[in-house]
Amino acid sequence: MQGEIRLEELTKSFDGVVAVDGIDLRMPPGEFFTMLGPSGCGKTTTLRMIAGFERPTSGRIMLDGSDVARVPPHKRSVNTVFQSYALFPHLDVAGNVAFGLKYLKLTKEERTRRVGEALELVNLGGFARRKASQLSGGQQQRVALARALVLRPRVLLLDEPLGALDARLRKNLQVELKALQAELGITFVFVTHDQEEALTMSDRIAVMNEGSVEQAGAPREVYEEPRTLFVADFLGVSNLLAAEAVGADGDACSVRVGERTFRARQGSTEARGDVKVMIRPERIAIEPYATSGDNRLPGMVERSVFLGGSHEVHVRVLGGELLKATVANDGKPPAVALEGGEAVSLYLPPDGLRVLAAGEPRRDDGPAERTP
Amino acid sequence: MSWLRNPWGRPRWLAVVTVLYILWSVLPVVLAIVFAFNKGRSRTTWQGFSFRWFTGSTGSVFHDPALQGALKHTLLLAVVCVAIATPLGVSLALGLQRWRGRGSGTVNTLMLLPLVTPEIVMGVALLLLFLRVFPEIGLGTTAQVIGQVTFTLSYVVVIVRGRLTSIGPEYEEAAADLGAPPRDQLGRVLLPLLAPAIVAAAAVAFAVSIDDFVVTQYLSSDASTTTVSMLLYATARGAPTPALNAIATVALVITLATLSLAFLVYKRFAGGKEAATLAALEV
Repeated sequence: MQGEIRLEELTKSFDGVVAVDGIDLRMPPGEFFTMLGPSGCGKTTTLRMIAGFERPTSGRIMLDGSDVARVPPHKRSVNTVFQSYALFPHLDVAGNVAFGLKYLKLTKEERTRRVGEALELVNLGGFARRKASQLSGGQQQRVALARALVLRPRVLLLDEPLGALDARLRKNLQVELKALQAELGITFVFVTHDQEEALTMSDRIAVMNEGSVEQAGAPREVYEEPRTLFVADFLGVSNLLAAEAVGADGDACSVRVGERTFRARQGSTEARGDVKVMIRPERIAIEPYATSGDNRLPGMVERSVFLGGSHEVHVRVLGGELLKATVANDGKPPAVALEGGEAVSLYLPPDGLRVLAAGEPRRDDGPAERTP
Repeated sequence: MSWLRNPWGRPRWLAVVTVLYILWSVLPVVLAIVFAFNKGRSRTTWQGFSFRWFTGSTGSVFHDPALQGALKHTLLLAVVCVAIATPLGVSLALGLQRWRGRGSGTVNTLMLLPLVTPEIVMGVALLLLFLRVFPEIGLGTTAQVIGQVTFTLSYVVVIVRGRLTSIGPEYEEAAADLGAPPRDQLGRVLLPLLAPAIVAAAAVAFAVSIDDFVVTQYLSSDASTTTVSMLLYATARGAPTPALNAIATVALVITLATLSLAFLVYKRFAGGKEAATLAALEV
């Protein structure tokens, strides 16, 4: 199968400022691969190097086994869907889609047929003679997609292609794009700062930060088993607590949070000393005040935010930290009152508590910036 | 001036100033045009309407050899100047746009220098250049063309670069991404997108060339290299007839028509905001 990309020690610096810092990544053929990270993390620069718009400072870009790092963009069998689409304003839709076919040595009939097929593929059959400026944002995005796919690239690069669209259209196009990728079997390399988008669409996600890959893996893996503080904090909502790992407790690790000791069974359970423990809001159970048992912690509800499908309950626990817990909206009145000021007990199950070795990520204050 | 105290009041006073200024600035031009149609020889007393100074059998624009020669030479210079300055200016704009790093800032500033240099200084400098450094070229039509290209080039570069900047690198990247080699990135994408700016730049260069007096005058050699503006200057204080008004009117109409065309083309394809910048440049 064609369309495998391997990045080897890929580095790019602009005037001495390192944008991409020696990353190694394998993007398997036929997969939907996402590079996820905050703005300035190097994901777009990496994509632009794969496309050929930027020359790597060092390292290799292996496309199906051959290094294309020094091949100019017009000779690479990869195509790009740009963030702003970059549709040629002086050409109509068909002219845009046919633009690259000129370089494929096809007959006129073949060209016409391929343009028609590509437009059908993105459901724009009747739009061939429109100008790009007469199309809506979603339609422009489809033309950009057709223009790239008509060349049957081995790899399709997508630079935040849904960024300019409204929320509802985004959701629809996410599903469509994923279905299209599965149907065509082309490797998609997708760049986004939207973690929800990444989780929805990808076969594999590489979470990037400050020019490096923090973690790469299946969506479930990076969400459930974050290996660094950054990943834990960037994907989804995380509760992070400073703790001290004091020793083993069976297959779990004993961690002290303030005056209390918890059992944590996930993550770096062999770590000792200063660590962070993390738990997802949906893993925390809210129980009546003074419920006895291990891994429990008293607290007071500060506020309860209604999110439609669930409530997000903010609980100030003993020790001063604020924990967020999600309670599903199942239509029944909750067993425990969730009004502000109520005293409750939080149960943090050992299977939901993950130990993250502190100090290992280069920053301890979490991500510096995050574009919404 | 109640509008100063009342923010909802209409600033009538400002409107009056504006209208007065426009009338004042247009008045001499209108007067000159009106007397081009005078029946008699006077340029100050109205003696009835006629086309005699345009088409009459003696002393009119179309029959006086001196006037006709000046008009032809003016147009010749303008056409040759545009033919050279436009492609050269477009190339320079493309080159400067791509040139990043050391020296590019200085060159950018230098490109604007001909626009701000007093024309008399440039005229004298060019005169010395052709007399002392390149005597084999000497004065005359060739020198006039080179002189005009020297400063009309700046207009072309400024206009085309403005458009290049607003186009951005993305369309070229898209073309490259789709397989177009650099030659086609330029020919199939960049030049079509630049077309309105190139047309506008050529028109501005044309108008500037027709209007030019100082440089063209310094670099002229004999009667055969006299342009309309030189002729107007030379005879205005001698024994002028309304034929002078007539030829000035012809020059004015050509200039205005060219600039209007440029403005319309640019506005049609490049959007109103940039066209406003262009309009400001033309003045």
